[in-house]
Amino acid sequence: MTAAELLAEYGDHVFDEIDLDIEPDSLVGFATACGETQPRFTDPSDGDFQGVPSYLTRIHGTRSLPEGFPVEMHRCFDGGKSIECHLPVRAGDKVTGRSEIHDIFEKSGRSGTMLFIVHRMNFYNQQGDHLATVDWRLIQREMD
Amino acid sequence: MILDLHSHSVASDDGRAKVENYCQWISKRALPLDGFVLTEHRQFDDANDYRALEDEFGLLILKASEVETEYGHVLLFGVNEDLCAAFDFADIRNPLSRVLEEAKRCGAVAVPCHPGRPKVGMCAHWETKGAVEGVEIVETLNGGSREGENEQADDYAERYGWRKIGGSDSHIVSHIGRFATRFEDEIRDIDGLVRALGGDRFEAIIPIARD
Repeated sequence: MTAAELLAEYGDHVFDEIDLDIEPDSLVGFATACGETQPRFTDPSDGDFQGVPSYLTRIHGTRSLPEGFPVEMHRCFDGGKSIECHLPVRAGDKVTGRSEIHDIFEKSGRSGTMLFIVHRMNFYNQQGDHLATVDWRLIQREMD
Repeated sequence: MILDLHSHSVASDDGRAKVENYCQWISKRALPLDGFVLTEHRQFDDANDYRALEDEFGLLILKASEVETEYGHVLLFGVNEDLCAAFDFADIRNPLSRVLEEAKRCGAVAVPCHPGRPKVGMCAHWETKGAVEGVEIVETLNGGSREGENEQADDYAERYGWRKIGGSDSHIVSHIGRFATRFEDEIRDIDGLVRALGGDRFEAIIPIARD
């Protein structure tokens, strides 16, 4: 299948959804691991206590790709993540993460042709506010 | 006039530089550049308008494209609606001959870039698939090339009599201006660049010393 065909079949619909409760210890632990020192990220008693902007990048759904998606994982590597933050995530939030395939495209580089699969996870709090959009790229290389 | 003819901004999927940051870098470092051309991957960026930055920093900022063919990557200068409709910029398997023909038909200029690079450079495919009519200019100085790749591009250019351009192929701010092209005549807009590339009053140069 071409990239366009894959995107037409698997793209832009939610294939996975998870729910999680945001615990203060989790927020503090992640902030500390990031080397963060600002009290609003490290001190639960701070009036503006919240997760660091990249916090939600650590969350994964129950599956990376839709069921039946044709991929050869031994040819794949992680292409990194990006996050667009809309609202802070706070202790006590009940967050829902919804996964979809946002984009699929090909490009060619020194190592040959690569298929880029952009997995997008949108996160919402209990009020339905959109907290963040996290894009993760999975890259499948052509065989030599 | 010195222009970096090959650069990428955040509009490219692998670009990490904002155009404003390029301008600030050029200004702060007093780089010997009069401007640069944004050659975004597999698209023509019609959305962004950089005229305010041009005015603020006194630089010429032009927009072009880098498309992919079965002979490697090609820069397109003078992209217009006709050219955008002529073939799919997102297709990585466009025939080189078609890209060259359509560029010429639509009044644009197509320049195979980093031709000495494996797999995505024209030279390797030239050897295995044969020559293609219509190549007139190639990029012989590319800032992202490894040892020997620019040399091979230059060798081909000399062999076939192709004119030569230079560009940084920058994807991050600090790489802008590593290589460039010097034009003997002033260029004020993309039409002027296309006209200049139609002549031979330009050369690929190294405007600043590399670390």
